[in-house]
Amino acid sequence: MRFTLIKDIKQDRAMKPLLNGLLTFMLLYLLADIYVTKMTLGLFSGAISETLFGNMEEFIDPMDSGVFLEYIHGQIFFMMMILLTLSAVYARLCSKKNYSMVLINTLMISALLSLITLALTYFFNANFLNLYIVTYFLWHSVAFVMTTHALWNLNHDSSI
Amino acid sequence: MLFEEKIGLSVANVLEYYQGNEEKFIMAKSNAGILKVILPHIFAFGLFIMVVQHFLLFTGYKKSKQFLVLIYASFTTAFLELVSPFFILQGFEVFAYVKLISFGLLEFLLLYTFALLFRCIIPRL
Repeated sequence: MRFTLIKDIKQDRAMKPLLNGLLTFMLLYLLADIYVTKMTLGLFSGAISETLFGNMEEFIDPMDSGVFLEYIHGQIFFMMMILLTLSAVYARLCSKKNYSMVLINTLMISALLSLITLALTYFFNANFLNLYIVTYFLWHSVAFVMTTHALWNLNHDSSI
Repeated sequence: MLFEEKIGLSVANVLEYYQGNEEKFIMAKSNAGILKVILPHIFAFGLFIMVVQHFLLFTGYKKSKQFLVLIYASFTTAFLELVSPFFILQGFEVFAYVKLISFGLLEFLLLYTFALLFRCIIPRL
């Protein structure tokens, strides 16, 4: 994308509002994603295992494998798109900081692990659920930090 | 076409779609349901506008004021298009107009961007 080539993004009066818009929509997406996950799958172990495996006492059916695969299929696509875009913008805007690479790697690995552990929880062993919860919150937190950091650097840091 | 098929292009249709209609057995939408529908659109709108409009940086419109107006207007209308259903559910019926106008305007702005891009690729247009 063009923003990877522009030397001084802050001085580019067209690229700056475009990136501001994109990053603001990303922030909205990350926040809305947590609410939607809470409503569909659940956020914590009790709610998630009830959704995935059902609850006989409360007559809740377990999630059908087709529905689960459809859910994870959508998640993979949207995570892939948001991770790629966010990393590209962040690398361009905040690459001078030493911890940038650590954040990008943490984001990628935790997001990938959250998808894998959710599938492992459903198909193999419910013990992976806690790992899923940790990685889910980790990638959302890191993505949130990266987005706000990129927004801050775009509008305030003079060294870009 | 999808908007027309699912919601409809009149204010009455928009209100009916979100607030429901007992006579026609149309259920009212919930905040949770709307959030679930708009979630993929939040990211898709942001990315789509950014990707399409950044191509204008390669053209003669790069330094024009029109380009800046186009960027701000697109992101603002996209935001209004996404949030207006929540206000309709709260009973602010005027937001049915906002929904329709922002939808139409967003479509127009994106088509206009494409027209500008095509004009630069094929100068005779």
